[in-house]
Amino acid sequence: MRSLKLARLAVLASFLILGAAGAAAAADTIKIAVPSPFTGAAAGYGDNVKAGVELKLAEINAAGGINGKQVVAEFLDEQCDPKEAATVAAKIVQDDAIVGVVGHLCSSAHLAALPNYVKKGIVAVSPTATNVTISEKNKDKAGKAWSYRVVYRDDFQGAFLARYASQVLGLKAIAVFYENNDYGIGLKEAFVKEAKKIGLAVVGEEGYMKGASDFTPQLTSLKSKNPDGLFISGYYNEGALIATQAKKLGMNVAKFGADGLDNADYIKLAADAAENTYMTVPFLAEAASADAQAFLKKFADTYKRESDWMSANAFDATGVVLEAVKAAGMDRAKVRDAIAAMNSPETGFKGITGNTYFDANGDCLKNAFVKVVKGGTFVPADKQME
Amino acid sequence: MLEQQLVNGLTLGVIYALIAVGYTMVYGVIELINFAHGEVYMIGAFLCVTFITAVGLPFYVSMLLAMICAAAIGVSIDRIAYRPLRSSPRLAVLITAIGMSIFLQNLAMIIWGSRPVPFPQDAVPAYLKLTAIEFSGVHLSWLQLFIFAVTFSMMLLLYVIINHTRMGTAMRALAQNRTCSQLMGVNVNRVIAFTFALGSSMGAVAGVLVAVYYNTLSPTMGYVAGVKAFAAAVLGGIGSVPGAMLGGIVLGIAEALGAGYVSSLYRDGVAYAVLIAVIIFRPSGLLGKALVEKA
Repeated sequence: MRSLKLARLAVLASFLILGAAGAAAAADTIKIAVPSPFTGAAAGYGDNVKAGVELKLAEINAAGGINGKQVVAEFLDEQCDPKEAATVAAKIVQDDAIVGVVGHLCSSAHLAALPNYVKKGIVAVSPTATNVTISEKNKDKAGKAWSYRVVYRDDFQGAFLARYASQVLGLKAIAVFYENNDYGIGLKEAFVKEAKKIGLAVVGEEGYMKGASDFTPQLTSLKSKNPDGLFISGYYNEGALIATQAKKLGMNVAKFGADGLDNADYIKLAADAAENTYMTVPFLAEAASADAQAFLKKFADTYKRESDWMSANAFDATGVVLEAVKAAGMDRAKVRDAIAAMNSPETGFKGITGNTYFDANGDCLKNAFVKVVKGGTFVPADKQME
Repeated sequence: MLEQQLVNGLTLGVIYALIAVGYTMVYGVIELINFAHGEVYMIGAFLCVTFITAVGLPFYVSMLLAMICAAAIGVSIDRIAYRPLRSSPRLAVLITAIGMSIFLQNLAMIIWGSRPVPFPQDAVPAYLKLTAIEFSGVHLSWLQLFIFAVTFSMMLLLYVIINHTRMGTAMRALAQNRTCSQLMGVNVNRVIAFTFALGSSMGAVAGVLVAVYYNTLSPTMGYVAGVKAFAAAVLGGIGSVPGAMLGGIVLGIAEALGAGYVSSLYRDGVAYAVLIAVIIFRPSGLLGKALVEKA
């Protein structure tokens, strides 16, 4: 009898200890959600964001975590698809352990996920979503913004590109090739608007769908309008194919685009057709601080490839969220308030992409840099613009 | 501009045709839409690149090896996913086909990564990159001519196999009546396996040609190409090999003209509108025979 009782006690005790250990583990970590595309056509970008987040977490955890707690990230796949993004967002807001969101990557996905975050009160910091309408749709009834971004907006970028093409590159007639989604269209519209204002002619506009691989029909009709510049308002996968096919069709014009083109794969995929492509980027390694240089080196050592701006921005977006957690603790609303308080150069987050501070719309003011492909590699353009 | 658009469309079309053949032949013998075929096309391209980069083989040898491997993969797909369900309702096989497609796409992502990779250009014979013909603004590269040549010789080979060999006769017999041909001594499973091997190797050739032409390949490339090629097969008359050829070319040209003259955002819309129009007036496709329902 007695031995049986003892055995029971031992079992009970071991359960208790195990249970306590489990609870302790949960309380000892800080969890953030990273919704991005990890499968599907945009999975390559998701990989870059994931790499940036992982490096930031490794850095913080190696230094003892935040207030003694280790930080973990839950990576959720939304395939850059608005429907999937809304589903994933619903899942995130229900998980009480998650204090903040780093994401989404695509503007369309971010817009679809936003209503969930605003309604349930969790803050999302996007490393890459540049669409303009995000600034209008990210506030609750009290006027508090729940979505922030560490990247500039498309209207800034599009207008900047129009001025750069006209004033620095001296182009006269531009053909526009845009991806038919929030990013491509928003960027294109800002470009066309500014072009009209400064007297830069837009001779043709053609669209394409994400994941397309043949662009020769559209390029053939753009070519017939004799442009001297081709504006690719989209991402690097398709951008590389467009550059290659334009070259095959004998369309030897200056090419330029925005941050979506900026990836080492653009040059790998387009090879010599990538030459003389200009692009605006939020982050330029050559002009970066010592911290950023350390990041670039760490990235290359860890992942055996060159970092791009998406990884750098993901690194900083994670930094913004965790800085807020450090200051405000685990309460979702307080984390938001802490991010909203980063509203001046003095209170801004000093990251590798510069000093990030937000206005009331969750937008930040950052300058654009121009890179160009020369001799099979990205180099800073000879002339930058303020 | 019209000439250039026709060249663009034709290049696209013959590639669709090469993939469509795989759909149409399998449908011909077992009445199954092999949704995993697009993935075989993608894997064929990746295998060719792997042979070039990892093993260091020359371009043509790698392409040939990719064809052989793809044939083996096609046969395995049939053996694993379709043959055990040969006598099940057709819907069950259709579901396994879709499952196989998802499985293969994700497998490719695990093996080769999810990022698009460039085709190793150094391995491609230099003359293929040159412009062959250039007149009044029309550009035609040697690579495009190579694509046409490969496609047409493959089609010719296929024609000979189907119409002038014992295996081809068996395939045609199977297409007419499986039970009856079995009774006549045709080894049904062997003929089906052969059909898969033939279709899959054609798919692999298409994959390699596309990868070289666009200088890019990714694990998701099979999906869109598969859907388009399936549409081409239906357009030409599913079950008919010359129909697949014609359907591919018609679809490719419709897409190019639609994108060039109607609206670039509706290019797929224009292509599918052509498909629907044809199906309304000729339900069995351009070259399909009006089938009498089998007993």
